[in-house]
Amino acid sequence: MKPLKTFLYVALATALASCGQGQKSSSSVPVIGFVEAFPDQTIEQARIGFTDALKAKGYSEDQHTVKIEYGNAQGSQVTLTQIINNYISKPVDLLATSTTVSSLAAVQRTKTIPICEMVSPTPERMKVLDANGKAPANLFGVIEDLPYIDTSFSLIPKLLKPTMGKLKVGMIYNQAEPQSVDAMQRIKDQSDKLGITLIAVPLNSSADAKLVTQSLLDKNIDAFFANPDNVVFSAFETIKQSCDAKFVPIFTSEAGLVKRGAVAAFGADIYQWGYQAGLQAAQYLKTRKMDGLQPEMVKVRKRVYNKAAAAKYHITVPTNFQAI
Amino acid sequence: MSFYLSALIMGLCLSMLALGIFISMKIFNIPDITTDGSYTLGGAVTAVMFMHQQNILLVLLAVAASGAIAGALTGLIHTKLKINALLAGILVMTALYSVNLIIMQRSNIPLTDASKLLFGLIHISKTDDLNTLFIVLLFVIIATIKIGYLLKTDFGVAMRATGNSESMVRALGVNTDRMKIIGLALANALTALSGFLVTQFQLFADISMGIGVVIVGLGSVIIAETVINWLRITSVWGSLALVLGGAVIFQFVLAFTLAIGIDANYLKIVTAAFVLLIVSLPRITQRGRAA
Repeated sequence: MKPLKTFLYVALATALASCGQGQKSSSSVPVIGFVEAFPDQTIEQARIGFTDALKAKGYSEDQHTVKIEYGNAQGSQVTLTQIINNYISKPVDLLATSTTVSSLAAVQRTKTIPICEMVSPTPERMKVLDANGKAPANLFGVIEDLPYIDTSFSLIPKLLKPTMGKLKVGMIYNQAEPQSVDAMQRIKDQSDKLGITLIAVPLNSSADAKLVTQSLLDKNIDAFFANPDNVVFSAFETIKQSCDAKFVPIFTSEAGLVKRGAVAAFGADIYQWGYQAGLQAAQYLKTRKMDGLQPEMVKVRKRVYNKAAAAKYHITVPTNFQAI
Repeated sequence: MSFYLSALIMGLCLSMLALGIFISMKIFNIPDITTDGSYTLGGAVTAVMFMHQQNILLVLLAVAASGAIAGALTGLIHTKLKINALLAGILVMTALYSVNLIIMQRSNIPLTDASKLLFGLIHISKTDDLNTLFIVLLFVIIATIKIGYLLKTDFGVAMRATGNSESMVRALGVNTDRMKIIGLALANALTALSGFLVTQFQLFADISMGIGVVIVGLGSVIIAETVINWLRITSVWGSLALVLGGAVIFQFVLAFTLAIGIDANYLKIVTAAFVLLIVSLPRITQRGRAA
């Protein structure tokens, strides 16, 4: 057992030694701490877009003009807090946060380090406005409000005729995400005006996706509206499989989900969302000032459709839609 | 070093939860799954009451009471309906998700005015984090002393003995069902207090904050038990102190893994490896001694 013991001590010693090294960072290269709350293929696009935008503006990791540290809390909020604390105490020059809970956790922990948020709702919707109704001064980035959902949802009656009577649309929403619940409320209000019967059921974990989707499909819905939230992102393939089996087309408001098999969408593209945030981050790194930087709306919204899915459901998509 | 300071605070905030798990482990020999729910419950009650500008003492009492009710429910389901303790915990934890949503009315609530919170009450140090550390340390010490005295009373001894040998304790004329219900109420009140502390530290409560947190508590207790067995500690005070230490160590391991800049994909496996290293150290050195 001697060698094992020695090995352990050596391992411990090296670990402690590297602990000290972690504190030092080379002074000239700006450091960005990128925070994600959970691993997800579609959400990851924001990070890729963010890095690409920085690269286009001359901040590339390959050329050592920027250092992007990446932390993913893998679904645990204890880890999320620690990741953010780690970046704050280094301190990094800029925090980049993807999805609501990361942005919120960062905003609540630092008032000095600039935060570039993406894939997050407006500060108002996140309830982080101060007494005067102002967003935190160190917060900028790219946000999304809800009205865009109107356009995505009103697509459905334009492209689809009901089998009988009123058009029935099913949707799921995640009670753990404010924007998902808000979106559902908004769609509910709108569906009355559009003459659509909306059946909305909560789905809070991707593990129940199959069952909940099946129960919706048993209510003979004409279409499925996949409101882009975390659960839909992670369980989309399950939802699509069940919908396909029942011949129910899926509509959404995010381009990435169209790529994964939804018929059509008018909405943000997560990659472009991250790219836009990356451009803002680059501006901050260049000027080192918050001047002119504030949370701004997503600029690139695309009308896209999935050729194979549209053909399968015999849906004729208007010409201003782009195939992906 | 301020990162390790915040990890220390986080560890102390979670040490209440570790104490809760420690107590439920003593009574049941299995961890109480209700923890995931009652931790969030503590956070939810804290956030909502602060949103309505309630007095901090009132918040503290409400948080402890709500956790205790949740724990007592698990205890009742387990003892009166004879449901397996694990399942009883899972059931209450699942139901608490809805309860928490109803309490919060939305999935997360940020706390906007920090001055009314626990950590804004007294200013011992000028630095924010150091001030937080002093207050949380004070809070944890007071709570631990209270729990320690409780565990040393006749009642506490009977409660601890229930986990060791239930039939023996019943033969001595102790109502073991009552012990279990009260013990679980106590454990979950402590867990809810963790939610209370963490919510004020991170300044928001979130419906998903409790997911997997039972693992954190369990990890801390196991680290502590390893040392307890290794050094053959029998005193209540020593055990409690080690449980607090275990919670801090668990957070330090996570902090350390983050600080050395491990690839995000390896985060959990490296954390697991470090914890394994810590709990297996006594075993390895012991065997080394024997050889």
